[in-house]
Amino acid sequence: MEGLLFNVNGGYIEGIVRGYRNSLLTGQHYNNLTQCETIDDVKLQLAPAYGDFLASLPPNPSTSSLAGKMTDKLVAEFRYVLAQATGSTAKFLEYLTYGYMIDNIALLITGTLHERDTRELLERCHPLGWFETLPVLCVATNIEELYNSVLIETPLAGFFKGSLSHQDLDELNIEIIRNTLYKNYLESFYEFVNTDSDFKGTPTQEVMSEFLQFEADRRAINITLNSFGTELSKQERRKLYPEFGKLYPEGSLMLSRADDLEAVTLAVSISADYKAFFDAVGLTQGGGGLGGSDGKSLEDMFYHKEMEMSKVIFTRQFTPAVVYAWMRLKEQEIRNVTWISECIAQNQKERIGNFISVF
Amino acid sequence: MSGAAGREPVFPTRQSLGLMKSKLKGAEVGHSLLKRKSEALTKRFREITRRIDEAKQKMGRVMQIAAFSLAEVSYAVGGDIGYQVQESAKQARFRVRAKQENVSGVFLPHFESYTEEGINDFGLTGLGKGGQQVQRCRETYARAVETLVELASLQTAFVILDEVIKVVNRRVNAIEHVIIPRTENTIKYINSELDELDREEFYRLKKVSGKKQRDVAAADAELLARREQEAAEAIAQGDTKAKPEEEAPDAPDVLGEQEDTDVIF
Repeated sequence: MEGLLFNVNGGYIEGIVRGYRNSLLTGQHYNNLTQCETIDDVKLQLAPAYGDFLASLPPNPSTSSLAGKMTDKLVAEFRYVLAQATGSTAKFLEYLTYGYMIDNIALLITGTLHERDTRELLERCHPLGWFETLPVLCVATNIEELYNSVLIETPLAGFFKGSLSHQDLDELNIEIIRNTLYKNYLESFYEFVNTDSDFKGTPTQEVMSEFLQFEADRRAINITLNSFGTELSKQERRKLYPEFGKLYPEGSLMLSRADDLEAVTLAVSISADYKAFFDAVGLTQGGGGLGGSDGKSLEDMFYHKEMEMSKVIFTRQFTPAVVYAWMRLKEQEIRNVTWISECIAQNQKERIGNFISVF
Repeated sequence: MSGAAGREPVFPTRQSLGLMKSKLKGAEVGHSLLKRKSEALTKRFREITRRIDEAKQKMGRVMQIAAFSLAEVSYAVGGDIGYQVQESAKQARFRVRAKQENVSGVFLPHFESYTEEGINDFGLTGLGKGGQQVQRCRETYARAVETLVELASLQTAFVILDEVIKVVNRRVNAIEHVIIPRTENTIKYINSELDELDREEFYRLKKVSGKKQRDVAAADAELLARREQEAAEAIAQGDTKAKPEEEAPDAPDVLGEQEDTDVIF
């Protein structure tokens, strides 16, 4: 049924994104890239896929400027897609940008808290997380003003509401604020794809729910693992777990009580997927090296899983979820190229294969 | 005068000879002490040079690993965390304590690094993703900075020691090649002057004693003559007229041919 009318509004976008997907680097490309001797060679190899965007780079550019240019291409393509979207699809795409907005706002709040000139920070903001009222954030000089008059106007106001007061902004660690916002964002996104009349009962709901659940679980596990040995209390930690996902509620509860890796492993054993990850990186053997035997960390495993899921999304039709998948794949590609060029620049070829090639 | 080093401007007296001799002794003791100090410093200096070489090579390796771990962080986090880390760091976790070490009278600063385990300002960075990499990167960089601190203390010691060794060597050479020969020359000069004076004195004394002998001989002869005269008078009783005539030679004849006695001041 959804296939009947989807193409009226979403057909063009889907077509475009499928085209973009075909321009992603393949295993063959990565093979060529790993053979490069200098960053210039990398640039040359990337020329067919990135073309004009890399042309303005100076000879032997730094890896960060290379990554910056690649991000520019992603941003340009995404903006084009966003401009074509209407209705629920447009709303869906906006949801994709909220994640970046959270990062930008966290950056600006940090700047305001430390009384820095926030105008300089605007350049550091992620372009995908840019919204019209973002520069207005710089007007606020203290945190109360920021909260009462500026944040309310941003698209993220809903994520602040009910969970963070302006005192919180002042007192809590910025990471906690960021993760609270992210949790609210994920929950809101999850609710959106499950209740929106255009998406309910479509492949979008199906694949996006799966994806967001994975994202939520990943965050919960990461937050737990990373909070060991910090001042984050268990109650506070619990508040940062998104309230959905495969691990919710039993797993989340167990995670919130976890004190060490053993407990985390026990908590995630509810889901066979995550258990396999933990087994693979050797976390189950009494907290052996986090690096794992073949240099893969838990983080890598999660990225790998994410890429697999993104790849599978392209087998579905009539859904804007492909845009989400494409963005994830593209970001991974940028990370891969950054990693490869970093390895080349620092002459550490032995770990150059440590990237995730999907196609 | 005598030798290239010259001598010190002193009067050639016995007192200054004594002074010079103690000065020479002092210079020799000082020379051997300074020589030993210079050797001790040079030994230390060589050791430091070797350790600097080691530390520099170690630094190269450690910095490479550290830079690579930063690349790992940017891969895992997928963004720039630099600003966030800068802003959330409030207290130094890695600190340096300066100590002083005494190497044969030279104070060498020695930096000692230690970490305040309780301080973990950006422990929550990358809470959502990449936190472990951030922590690992921090540890790697802490090790790198440790190496840098070690290298810094070695380099400072190197510079200071270099300066001190130069000064000490200059002093050793000055004592060996200037002060000791000069003092020796002065002693030689004073000795020769004193010998000269001794010889003059001896000659003068000889002269004095020769004159005294002559005087004694003349007095004896006069005495003898008077006794003979008295004996003659005793024979010719009552003749006293000759007395004034005999007393005349007794008066000192200043303009006479006999030598003056030396006047000793």
